[in-house]
Amino acid sequence: MAMLKTILGNLLRPSRTRAPADMPVVPPTYRGALTHDAGRCTACGTCAFVCAPKAIHFTQEPGVSVSWHFFIGQCSFCGLCEQNCPTRAIHLRADVPGSMNSASGDGLRLESVIRLQPCTRCGAAHVPLPAATMDALWAAGADEAERGYCPDCRRWAASARLRTAFIPDGAVAEGGRHDR
Amino acid sequence: MPYSFPLGPYHPALEEPFKVKVQCRGEVIESATVEVGFSYRGIELLAQKRNWVEVITLIERVCGICSNTHAMTFCMAAETIAGIELPKRAAHIRTIIAELERLHSHLLWAGVGAEDIGFHSLFMEVFTLRERVMDTLEAISGNRVNYGMNCIGGVLRDIPDPAAHLPALDALAKGLGEIVIPTFTQNPTALARTRGVGRLSREQAVEWAVVGPVARASGLDIDVRKDQPYLSYADLGFESVVRPEGDVQARVVVRALEMMESVRLIREALLSLPPGPLRATQGLPEIPAGEATIRTEAPRGEAFYYVASEGGASPARVKIRTPSFVNIPAIEPMVMGQTLADLSIIQASVDPCISCTDR
Repeated sequence: MAMLKTILGNLLRPSRTRAPADMPVVPPTYRGALTHDAGRCTACGTCAFVCAPKAIHFTQEPGVSVSWHFFIGQCSFCGLCEQNCPTRAIHLRADVPGSMNSASGDGLRLESVIRLQPCTRCGAAHVPLPAATMDALWAAGADEAERGYCPDCRRWAASARLRTAFIPDGAVAEGGRHDR
Repeated sequence: MPYSFPLGPYHPALEEPFKVKVQCRGEVIESATVEVGFSYRGIELLAQKRNWVEVITLIERVCGICSNTHAMTFCMAAETIAGIELPKRAAHIRTIIAELERLHSHLLWAGVGAEDIGFHSLFMEVFTLRERVMDTLEAISGNRVNYGMNCIGGVLRDIPDPAAHLPALDALAKGLGEIVIPTFTQNPTALARTRGVGRLSREQAVEWAVVGPVARASGLDIDVRKDQPYLSYADLGFESVVRPEGDVQARVVVRALEMMESVRLIREALLSLPPGPLRATQGLPEIPAGEATIRTEAPRGEAFYYVASEGGASPARVKIRTPSFVNIPAIEPMVMGQTLADLSIIQASVDPCISCTDR
């Protein structure tokens, strides 16, 4: 009799298997397909530093470009590269990640090339700061000419400003080129 | 005529490799030897070669079920060395994730246990409930396993809308109270396979130094959440569940009632989520020289971490003692004098986690 009740109950109830329509929504925090924006990357290497399975690495062509490489077969989708990127160049979108067939062989590989620019002062090739970072830094009213400087020349310019603040009459001779 | 019978390492009952070699006379087991070490990955040594950020990702992969506990305990050890005080909100979020993980681990165990006694419809019911927990974990952390929530000094993700997760908890409490617990405690099939089976007396439990639900089912009231409260357990109030019987039935009941307590803890933590920052520190962590030992209550019992730092980029030593490491040998006294057919449910009743044990 109890069994009859169960059978009847089961017939009258709708299916308990999940239909594709009532799948849970993909949360905004879902860590899926990884994208890299070369325009925001400063090639600082933080993403490669925090990547435990070493899915990210950098290569360089001296004087021309720095390349950011990603191999999905080694990625564990922990999202630490996105969390730690100081300029928010890396983003794990909520889309399905690309194919990953094996840990060593084929699978999605991403490469993103960051072109080096010559310094407007010393001519040394360097990774330019992302436009957003530059706007934030120069908003305080620094010298516009310094925008094209390499990190060494920026440092030199900063110390020159400090020096002239202490010794305003130009007692110190104009500094030469920094050593390279 | 006595004979010996190897069960495993590739296991009919469990997903992970470990071997129980039993000596039987007829249907009755006379003695048993447990062998582990089939999935050794050398994580403790690897941890010395990775920097402090990478180690969290690595440690999270010690276990596929209680991944968060390991990452969390490691972070707590690093915070102790560096003298970082965890923000209140981060402590609450860690507690919520830890308890959700306990729920999913215990539900997974209850499902596998039901499967081991041949009770497939109960397995289906339990896994339907577990899916609600997994959905909640995914909604909070963005992943069903390996949540990646912890960093040294806090948590990486917030719970922006705590009230959104309450309906899932209601459904869970209802499912546990109306289906899972009554079936395990009243159904004649479940009772026949669990009551009086695989007994471990209180004295044996002390002798074999078992921890977690196995110890609590043998009448030992030990639980790190109560004995040495960490995170938000002192604020939320915690009641441990203890049973004196020591059989498989008692282990089922202890885990079932613990799930109800977890639901209550999660609900209170969600409702009383304090405002404030998620992290005490910004940027990459700097851990000075020092050492720390931390105990936390993982779903299977007490997890113990010893972390030493020499002030460099990587930890100098990470020693992990997982609860299954002490619970698995206790299978030997449990199966003595039991029938061979009960071996599978008895060893499943300690909830052995082999990847934790082997590391």
